Amino acid sequence: MPVVKVLTDGIGEFDLRDIAVYRGRGGYEQWKRAVTEMAPADVADITTKSGLRGRGGAGFPTGRKWSFLPNNGRPRYMVCNCDEAEPGTFKDHMLLEETPHQVLEGMLLGTYAIGSKHAFIYIRGEFEQGYEIFCEALAQARAAGFVGDKLFGTETSIEVTVHRGAGAYICGEETALLNSLEGRRGEPRLKPPFPAVKGLYGEPTVVNNVETLATLPHLLKNGPEWCARVGPEKSPGYKIVSVSGHVKKPGNYEVPLGTPLRELLEIAGGPRDGRKIVAVQPGGGSSACLFEEHLDLPYDFDTMAQNGTMLGSGAVVFFDDTTNFVEAALALVRFYAHESCGQCTPCREGGHWLEVTLERLLHGGGLASDIDMLVAVSHQLTGINLCPLGDSIEPFLASVINRFEAQFRGYVKIGAARPPMAPQKTAVTL
Amino acid sequence: MPEQTRDFEDIVLKVEPEARRLIAQYPAGNARSALLPILHAFQNVEGWVSPEAMERTASWIGEPVSVVESTATFYTLFHRRPVGRYMLQPCRNLSCILNGAGAIMEHFREQLGVGHNETTADGLFSYEEAECLAACDRAPCMQVNLQFYYDLTKEKVDSMLAAMRDGTFEVAPLPQTAAPGRNWVVAQESGRKSPGAQQVVDPNDPGGLGDKSGVAMIERLTKQPYPIDVRPTQERLVADGAARLESPTSNGSGH
Repeated sequence: MPVVKVLTDGIGEFDLRDIAVYRGRGGYEQWKRAVTEMAPADVADITTKSGLRGRGGAGFPTGRKWSFLPNNGRPRYMVCNCDEAEPGTFKDHMLLEETPHQVLEGMLLGTYAIGSKHAFIYIRGEFEQGYEIFCEALAQARAAGFVGDKLFGTETSIEVTVHRGAGAYICGEETALLNSLEGRRGEPRLKPPFPAVKGLYGEPTVVNNVETLATLPHLLKNGPEWCARVGPEKSPGYKIVSVSGHVKKPGNYEVPLGTPLRELLEIAGGPRDGRKIVAVQPGGGSSACLFEEHLDLPYDFDTMAQNGTMLGSGAVVFFDDTTNFVEAALALVRFYAHESCGQCTPCREGGHWLEVTLERLLHGGGLASDIDMLVAVSHQLTGINLCPLGDSIEPFLASVINRFEAQFRGYVKIGAARPPMAPQKTAVTL
Repeated sequence: MPEQTRDFEDIVLKVEPEARRLIAQYPAGNARSALLPILHAFQNVEGWVSPEAMERTASWIGEPVSVVESTATFYTLFHRRPVGRYMLQPCRNLSCILNGAGAIMEHFREQLGVGHNETTADGLFSYEEAECLAACDRAPCMQVNLQFYYDLTKEKVDSMLAAMRDGTFEVAPLPQTAAPGRNWVVAQESGRKSPGAQQVVDPNDPGGLGDKSGVAMIERLTKQPYPIDVRPTQERLVADGAARLESPTSNGSGH
């Protein structure tokens, strides 16, 4: 079993919220080494060489993202995105609450690497406990001289601000996050300009995910090859995978990228007794489903993309043969309808009507044509919005309608009686 | 009934030092960044975000009240009407649904006698079915006043509710400075963002702004159901629209 302990090392065994415990396990050593012995460019160079790809959803190479910052002498900002709300994802929540110092050290390293003096962390409003834990960790680090002016006797100064959101999934989108951080409605901005050019307060800004930044201390400690030699060439490194749904032991498991989905299933305790997995959603609520024949695929960014889905934030949800996919589809569609910021008409209107259509289907008022309509409408609100939220409805909905059409058909005009449970492969292709 | 007294200047005394500290966290000239944190601070003391609180926040960050109000309405965690002592938020998203959240939510509604986004008559509980709370490994989960509770069962829910009613629950109740109404969500925040879709619960009856085109389309679909192997095409969508254009008077005749 390839479960490893890198970012998750010590979680559940030690109180890593205590700075003394974290330092006892090598914490903040890399931060001190970076400030006293390395130039910012060296840190950035190691990150680029490692091939590390962003762990928040888009999977963009971190080093390259940093390289887009213009050298215009303007102040720059590092923003850590801890607005984790993708359905099925719960890794950042764990990292924030269990190892706040690791997150902070990673943030500091990233801030140093891009030559910024001010870092922000945007914490999801619902994580009130996590917010308090992180504020306490920041106070400890400040007292220990790791945050503030003239660090370790050098000219390096870094300030950290903790900002708590107030309940909006869309603020996980980087430009919406920046708007929210500026005290505005969390509506995504038109791009370009990208945040690297014009971000927070109009200045060059990098937005990185919690897990991405928390990887930096380990990269510095072990060198770029440590990451580059694990997993497939194009998506190297370890990844925390949030496994949930119909498995016996759901949880966060850290594995090398490229681990087959079937192995992830085994790591998470396998299916419930007497049940069989019929589908898996490999990259959070916004990704298309894969099915039993795909379980041997390696779990990495490129393989998932080649199979019409995505690795996303690393949230894997398994579905067994008891699943009511109409209910599951409604749960996700309702989510996107609820979380649409309302700026773009297709997403605002389309999501809402898909929700009421699915609700009607589920409650026995559905028409045969509704199933076509669901596919058509979800397709038509794809690719024409400012941000990917509207596009996130189609993948799951279309993939499960295509595969489990009999279940959807079973609801047409028959009231709330449950449809046939066994998955049925149909000849229809989308 | 808990005592409900409210002296706004007293609340301001508690919030103002915190607000000044929050504004100082951001680079100079960007006081507006502290808008959300200050509203959180007000809500922590007052239990909700009152119009006076928004006014005061506006004066501290140097923006018009409309800016504060329009921003506050965007975020679901700000209560713009008074709420109950305990905000109960079970998760209704995918992993929780797969693990029995449907039955838990039904149980809540039965036990409390209220639905989604409603407060009980005694002002003790506000109930909202929340979106993914990022605790899918211990589904079904919920938050009570933003504290997490995991692996819910009906028995666990019953004992939690009993403890809250007895005043022995481990999470402190929210401050309550005004009596809550049945619903604390103002209309524009109800999730029905489209004016055309306000109060629409059934696509067979679109209503809205007098647009009956949806009815026409659905009538046509009922008469001529598509065979499943024919997916909707551009032509068909045009046909739906065209039928409406040809016979505008036949629309809206009901069904």
